[in-house]
Amino acid sequence: MDYNGAAIVAMKGKNCVAIASDRRFGVQAQTVSTNFKKIFEVHPQLYYGLGGLATDVLTLSEIFEYKLSMYKLREGRDISPKTFANLAASTLYERRFGPWFVEPVIAGLEKDGTPFVCGMDLIGALNFATDFIVSGTAKEQLYGMAESLWEPDLGPEDLFEIISQTLLNAQDRDALSGWGGVVTVITPEGATTRYLKSRMD
Amino acid sequence: MADRYSFSLTTFSPSGKLVQIEYALNAVSQGVTSIGIKATNGCVIATSKQTSSPLIDDTTIEKISVVCSSIGLVYSGMGPDARVLVDRARKAAQQYRRVYNEDPPVAILVKEVAQVMQEYTQSGGVRPFGVSLLVIGSDSTGHYLYQVDPSGSYFPWKATAIGKNMVNAKTFLEKRFSANLERDDACHTALLTLKEGFEGAMTESTVELGIAYSEEVEVTDSSQPSGKRRERRGVFRKLAAEEVKDYLANIA
Amino acid sequence: MPLNLNFLNAGRRENALLETGDFTAGLVDSVDVPNFELPAVANPVEFLHHQTKEAESCRINIAKGTTTLAFKYQGGVIVCVDSRATAGSYIASGTVKKVIEINPYLLGTMAGGAADCSYWERELGRRCRLYELRNKERISVAAASKLLCNMVLGYKGMGLSMGTMVTGWDKTGPGLVYVDSDGQRLKADLFSVGSGSTYAYGILDNGYHFDMSEEEALELGRRAIYHAGCRDAYSGNTINVYSVKETGWVFKGNYDIAKLHWELYAPEQ
Repeated sequence: MDYNGAAIVAMKGKNCVAIASDRRFGVQAQTVSTNFKKIFEVHPQLYYGLGGLATDVLTLSEIFEYKLSMYKLREGRDISPKTFANLAASTLYERRFGPWFVEPVIAGLEKDGTPFVCGMDLIGALNFATDFIVSGTAKEQLYGMAESLWEPDLGPEDLFEIISQTLLNAQDRDALSGWGGVVTVITPEGATTRYLKSRMD
Repeated sequence: MADRYSFSLTTFSPSGKLVQIEYALNAVSQGVTSIGIKATNGCVIATSKQTSSPLIDDTTIEKISVVCSSIGLVYSGMGPDARVLVDRARKAAQQYRRVYNEDPPVAILVKEVAQVMQEYTQSGGVRPFGVSLLVIGSDSTGHYLYQVDPSGSYFPWKATAIGKNMVNAKTFLEKRFSANLERDDACHTALLTLKEGFEGAMTESTVELGIAYSEEVEVTDSSQPSGKRRERRGVFRKLAAEEVKDYLANIA
Repeated sequence: MPLNLNFLNAGRRENALLETGDFTAGLVDSVDVPNFELPAVANPVEFLHHQTKEAESCRINIAKGTTTLAFKYQGGVIVCVDSRATAGSYIASGTVKKVIEINPYLLGTMAGGAADCSYWERELGRRCRLYELRNKERISVAAASKLLCNMVLGYKGMGLSMGTMVTGWDKTGPGLVYVDSDGQRLKADLFSVGSGSTYAYGILDNGYHFDMSEEEALELGRRAIYHAGCRDAYSGNTINVYSVKETGWVFKGNYDIAKLHWELYAPEQ
């Protein structure tokens, strides 16, 4: 789980959710690229992030893309965040004895607009949170920042500010994550993605 | 030879028909009538439990089956064939549940069962199922009544009938159905339809009723500040003898 | 033998000297190589090897990941270091001083264990001062580095971790010696030490020539640490730059790598 490094965080707001990640792809100490994708869109109301082993992040995101495309074709509708969380969890548990080294973070709005964030461990133990979810090598730092900055009922702009500060300050205390950041805020009107400037060391 | 080659018994006739499937439909139309109605607030299925001998203990017969907590079905035709399909339907529902932790939408479950029935029209060494099914259920997109035939084709209905008396029953339903029928009325109408051409006495032990609808329930949810959440969920249940008795009292 | 820490308390030692008038007593005692209590086992080296390996993951505030560099050029020696200290992947500090000012003419750099480097280089400073008092002239860089080397060599295999460059100016001109806790001692015109050293070498080898100006040299050193900070997860935060000349060393400044990145080296991104 600390071969490549990551910092991923998702937060609930008032009628909105946000998910953010760093952009580093490194091999142990060596930073190889600074535009690595760790957050993926399912549909405009549902995003997920994968923190952990980069090769598994890539493969698992492709597995999810396949499963979600099949779901959409079969059922003729977008998957709901809760259902996707269960799909992700069962996908991970399929590899109970040879797991994907990945801890997903899911953020989205339910059909009725209810904010949803959840996380799970690498074999799919679900954690539905009232406030925020963190993942990656900067997990402890993210917990510290989120625990002190987050408050209930933040609007989209405030939520963006809080999640950005949480990410930036957490990854500055983690050697293996950072090198830029990306934040997506989801509101009933749609999702907006912004890239953050950060320390590049 | 037998294990190396096996041919489908369902083969095209020169005119392009699959007569085996037509024979299967004949078997269905000899079966006991079943009725299905979609109401504004739910769906209803009904059938009678006619037996070939008064000596059979009809208290143990069940023709309406629960597939999962939100879906149920009734068959007309050959009982043993239907049992296989109920088995497969229940398995499919549980498999879906294992992956998504929720009941399958009705359309998905119906597709799954229809798939099984289709396979039995094209595989080697098997014959088509001698049953038609009426599947009702409720999911997040609404409540539905589906008919599935031995060929593997399926149709959504507002009201329909399968089995022995289906032609008359359908004509009856066409006259009786209205778009603003409620579930209670639908139960009533279903029994009335069944009454046409019913052999013997209609009692709570010779009639079966199943209903599907959605209800709002309070569930525990640790991700909500209150720890609780109200949620709509689909329900399928068979009516108890007492309830059937009440409906029967109104149609006498 | 218990650790003798009397020399740490300068005030008390002076008092003792005044009272007794016996100068040699105090001096002889403090000139001894610090003597640490060793584990009471038959083979302390083997024992400690086992212990320190196990303890590696739980040691805190070690500056294991580091980039330091020093090179000679026509004007003297340039020393540049980063300021990050990590414990595992946790960034324990971003404001570590990795250049140790041994005396106004000598600098040491810090890579490996922070405590080991700072302790032994301070001890080196004390011994260099004694050398000056005894010989009425400054110690050469070569001699100073050998003192350090010999000291740590006494604890070889017991878990000391130190990779340092000793620089300064003596009678022979600018001096630069690499010393590590394995007992290795090397002289060359250019060194880089630490987890980010390969990246620094890349910049250094590409831009280095002996005849460059002081300004060029300072920029080269700073840029080498900047790039190491960017590539190496365990190096970064800020850069400290020193220049060693005939008149002694001069601190040239502290630069935030983030500022350098966004304002100087890659403002377009």
